[in-house]
Amino acid sequence: MSIAESSNVPGGGALGVSAEGVSRRFGTVHAVEHIDFHAPAGKVTALIGPNGAGKTTLLLMLASLLRPDSGTIRIDGLDPLRDSAAVRLRIGWMPDTLGVWESLTAREILVQMAHFYRLPQAGIGQRVDELLELVRLDALADQPARVLSRGQQQRLSLARALIHDPSVLLLDEPASGLDPGSRVELRNLLRSLAGAGKAVVVSSHVLSELDEIADGAVFVNQGRTVKQQTLEEAARQGRRYAITALDNQALAVKLGELGLEYRVEAGLRPSVTLLLTHDDGAAALLRELVTAGIGVVSFAPAAGALEETYMNLETERR
Amino acid sequence: MSNVTEAVPSPGPQGSPAGPRGTTGGWNAVVGYLRGIRDVVVLEMKQRLRSRGWYIMLGIWFVVIAVVTWLTWLAWNATMEARRSVTAMSPQDGAGSMIFEVVLAFVLLFALLVAPALSAHAIDGDRAGGTLAILQITLLTPGQILWGKFCAGWLAALAFLATSAPFLVFGMFQGGLTVGHVVVSLVMLAVELAVVCGIGVGISALAGRPLFSIVVTYLAVAALVVGSLISFGLGSQLAQGTVLANTPQARSVLYAPAQPNQQGQPTEPVQPGYTCGGPLVEHPALRTERVAWMLALNPYVVVADAIPYPDRSGSAFYSAGMIESISQGARSALAGPDHTYLCANGVPQPQYLKQTTPLWPLGLGLQLVLTGLLMWLGWRSLRTPAGRLPRGTRIA
Repeated sequence: MSIAESSNVPGGGALGVSAEGVSRRFGTVHAVEHIDFHAPAGKVTALIGPNGAGKTTLLLMLASLLRPDSGTIRIDGLDPLRDSAAVRLRIGWMPDTLGVWESLTAREILVQMAHFYRLPQAGIGQRVDELLELVRLDALADQPARVLSRGQQQRLSLARALIHDPSVLLLDEPASGLDPGSRVELRNLLRSLAGAGKAVVVSSHVLSELDEIADGAVFVNQGRTVKQQTLEEAARQGRRYAITALDNQALAVKLGELGLEYRVEAGLRPSVTLLLTHDDGAAALLRELVTAGIGVVSFAPAAGALEETYMNLETERR
Repeated sequence: MSNVTEAVPSPGPQGSPAGPRGTTGGWNAVVGYLRGIRDVVVLEMKQRLRSRGWYIMLGIWFVVIAVVTWLTWLAWNATMEARRSVTAMSPQDGAGSMIFEVVLAFVLLFALLVAPALSAHAIDGDRAGGTLAILQITLLTPGQILWGKFCAGWLAALAFLATSAPFLVFGMFQGGLTVGHVVVSLVMLAVELAVVCGIGVGISALAGRPLFSIVVTYLAVAALVVGSLISFGLGSQLAQGTVLANTPQARSVLYAPAQPNQQGQPTEPVQPGYTCGGPLVEHPALRTERVAWMLALNPYVVVADAIPYPDRSGSAFYSAGMIESISQGARSALAGPDHTYLCANGVPQPQYLKQTTPLWPLGLGLQLVLTGLLMWLGWRSLRTPAGRLPRGTRIA
């Protein structure tokens, strides 16, 4: 990326992705309505929302495949409508539908993509090998994509999005279908890509995953931006903790003594949950309980920080 | 995991061979454009060559045409046998011609049946499979995708044509025909395949669902083959008109050699049998020349009319083959009553039209206009960022 190149573009030359007041409708359905979205370079930004909230439509517009009815989109400061070739070289897009050419091998697919991006012929073989290794498909490189499992196809799709070393990554549900090991790898990979200065946008439902990856999150619902927050902000708003003890009765009594508001949860294992505003409070409470001789078996956040926001938004909506 | 992205020499924007167009000159842009088409063709052909269905279709095609050729050959031999037993005459011409014509007609028929299947799911099939957007997100332009898909479909169809070429050559060797006949008919068949593939690719870019586009493409081909005949038939009934003509009078002389008339200009070549006399009167006639363009859209007419046959205007007796009859019929429709009505404008009209008024350029031109229109509409629907989407489709 050359910064000089993008800074002479009107709009301040902000690297990363930005969308302002973007709207798109399909017939009478307003899929996206006046969404503002920013994903800075060097950060992982999560795009969170329920099914049908307009996440995929927004990503398609950011990927320069769909024209917004109104609003502006900038990719590294460039307008996809005007500089489409320059924008496409900067965008790596991984769709939620896998869309693999089933009769081609993993290697052939990546080589084809390299050709479509007009990469110099000399470096293609090496680049493809490295990407196959990166997504751990090197052993299956010469199998037709048809025989790959869903998770393997998902990883192939990720490698395909990376073939031209884009500066912006738009990933639509990248973790779906991945086994836990692959999820951890994906997480590390996305972190390292962001560390290399790329703007990474991830849409997902799996909120606990995003807690570990994302620097910030944009919540959308019914085609609108509902909330935009960083993970620190999400953490600061307080989290619900779940506590189980050997003797739940004693736990309840102690919590009552401390004057804390708690809720007894109906579940397989009886537990109580309560809202704590910050981590220091959690640590203090745990110390309190242990010194009071209560056999605490588990003491953990009931939900991820982003999930907390998400659920709050869900309840506000009702 | 991890650091690979930094370690790899970045093919990023600045070092990109796909830099702004025009700086490196128009020639490089053309080469780059063609290279993109080639890449799409390579992708398509790899997929087609690996699908077993394609080989099965090719095999069936080969067997069917072989059977048709064999049956035609048997039928012709049987006919000749029967004729020889009745008359002592053994007409040698027509053997190769008949086999050639039947095989040609069958090849064209099957070409028209197979080409839509090879082309009409090219783009909406990808759209349904989610792979079209993968192409669109790259540096490929809509034109490159469209032309690549078209070329791949056409190449696949040409393979079918190549399979049938031996039978056309066999027909040629049965006598009466030249290499030129085979070459011209193969070229025209290839062009007709291109037309159908173009229609199929265009429609598939426009359509939302694969089944729909295949059905519509078949209907379009049926419209060209059958619809053109029906509309020509009905259209010529609507094109009622008149032609000025006088009465033919029988002549005893079979043929009068051309003589300069009083103005010193050569007279029209006179057909045997009659002269024209009496006052010019308006006769009702079908002005077929107004609707001949509909007939010209027919692929059979285009192919038949393009294949050369000897000029028969001198001979009174000849056995015209099927191709020749189609061509002559179509040309007389194009000429209209002014040139075909007995004694139109008081001049004896030749029964036989020379090859100077071919119909196939008109027909092919109209077919290409139709194909070009569909391809253009298809190109519009492939542009990104997409404004409107085909009904009921998701882009990815």
